[in-house]
Amino acid sequence: MTSQPVPLTLALPKGRLLPKVLELFESRGIALSFEDRKLVSYDEGSLFQAFLVKNNDLPTYVNFGIAGLGICGSDVLYESGFRFFKLLTFPFGRTRMCLAGRKGYTPKDYPRHLSVATKFTRFTQDYFHARGIPVQIIRLEGSVELAPVLGLAPLIVDLVETGETLRANNLQIIEKLDDIEVHLIANPSYYKLHYQSINRITEMLKEARE
Amino acid sequence: MTGKRRTLLQIPQGTEAFYLEEAYRHRRIIADLDRLYESWGYLPVYTPIFDFFDNYRPLLSEHALENVYRLIDREGDLLMLRSDITLFLARQMGLALREEDLPVRVYYSDVILRHQDREDISRNEFFQSGVELIGKKGKDADIEILLLLARTLELLDLPGSIHLGTRALFEICSSGLPAAQHAKLGEAIATRDESRMLSLFQERDGVSADYLTRLFKFIGTRQELHEIYLEGKRNSYLSEAGQRELKYLNVLLDAISKVAPETAFRIDLSEVGAQPYYTGIVFQVYLSGQDAAIASGGRYDRLLESFGSPAPSVGFSLLLRKVEPAIGNHERYARAKVEHVTAPTFEEAFREAERLRKSGKIAVL
Repeated sequence: MTSQPVPLTLALPKGRLLPKVLELFESRGIALSFEDRKLVSYDEGSLFQAFLVKNNDLPTYVNFGIAGLGICGSDVLYESGFRFFKLLTFPFGRTRMCLAGRKGYTPKDYPRHLSVATKFTRFTQDYFHARGIPVQIIRLEGSVELAPVLGLAPLIVDLVETGETLRANNLQIIEKLDDIEVHLIANPSYYKLHYQSINRITEMLKEARE
Repeated sequence: MTGKRRTLLQIPQGTEAFYLEEAYRHRRIIADLDRLYESWGYLPVYTPIFDFFDNYRPLLSEHALENVYRLIDREGDLLMLRSDITLFLARQMGLALREEDLPVRVYYSDVILRHQDREDISRNEFFQSGVELIGKKGKDADIEILLLLARTLELLDLPGSIHLGTRALFEICSSGLPAAQHAKLGEAIATRDESRMLSLFQERDGVSADYLTRLFKFIGTRQELHEIYLEGKRNSYLSEAGQRELKYLNVLLDAISKVAPETAFRIDLSEVGAQPYYTGIVFQVYLSGQDAAIASGGRYDRLLESFGSPAPSVGFSLLLRKVEPAIGNHERYARAKVEHVTAPTFEEAFREAERLRKSGKIAVL
């Protein structure tokens, strides 16, 4: 069976990653643009039909096969709980998942039952349970740094790039829990049906990355 | 929403109800499958809807364990609901079959119950139809099952692509790894995680790790398989047992190409079997527009032994409810036109309805 000469479907994340993704694609001659608030775009060579979706929704679109491919951070992928093929890791968007708390707090100060505020509930629970530490998780959607400042929870798990926000709020990194990277992902079934075209694109993007 | 209203409006995750025309269509499809399987000499079989959990615990993957429903009976025994018909069937057959009965060909169409995340309802894993050829090992049995799978897809007009791999090759190439690493390697292969595959193969054997990583990412034609086979043989990256497994896939596809050249097979060595009980060939069927494999199967030569009767077996199952919307030539399963009979008296209407029914029509009084 040969691959269908149809555009591959690709979900792209809205927000800070998008300009970097578009720049990388453009360096390989794939020009995608989303003008006039349009959320669907084709490149000139019709390699892709691209959808612009909210970062947290991206795994859902790929899991359901609406988009066969997607570009997404490992933090969001982990939280989704879905299983994808990770085809490529991009050089941009790298960050750290960290445990943070008030300045002076050390891992020795861990209470018997940790209380942690975070947006990354699945990751946090799995991380501490894998180490045999019971954890109470308080789910927050944003401005997680406020939790220790206002006394909601002594600790937070959050993404840390420069650490500026932490410092500004008299907080510090206690421990780096994981490195977060941005991946090209595929729905496994979609990959199996289109593996030749997808492999070609992956190689092309890999060259751009190198 | 109040608890009462929520339980009234929703059904629990992992089950479904369907009605009227949709249910009619479902039964017609099953009838068609039954006819196909019976014409190949298969007999129907029914399995219990729940059974003792302890019988199956060692045979369940971590993923399967997370998704089975368990309950406790009045005697305090832990039970599990039927989440995989092959597994329940193996236990029943293991108890019932005698050596002189073998080989036995069976088919089934029945409900399975697995937990499904609220966010993952598109999986539609509610119903399995399939066949098992019990007590027959070797090439002919494997070919029979692969051809029957191809005929099933053809009957339902589902242009799926059958990806054929081998669990046996994976077992050969992962031998010597501790159990935890073995499971991680299987997962890394199934998710095509190249860096994890490489590091796990390196733990076992640094020399052939790069080759084995490429080997277990392989999807392609028989010709391409031959090239990677030669590379493994020439450089001694692949043991003789491993070489035999690759040659065996080629033999199967060669035989199939002679009798069913139109069948869409791909050799896919990243298929290593979703269930740990597989021992030989494994395969999955992918279909455009479906978010996951629609059918899967393989050879399981030691499963029945764990229930008391050693009998090498091979089979497949199709997630029927998942594929029903995609079945081609849809109208053949639709309900025929209904005649609404009217007459001055009930007696006359009844007689007219009976006449219509005898001529094969549907008549409603």
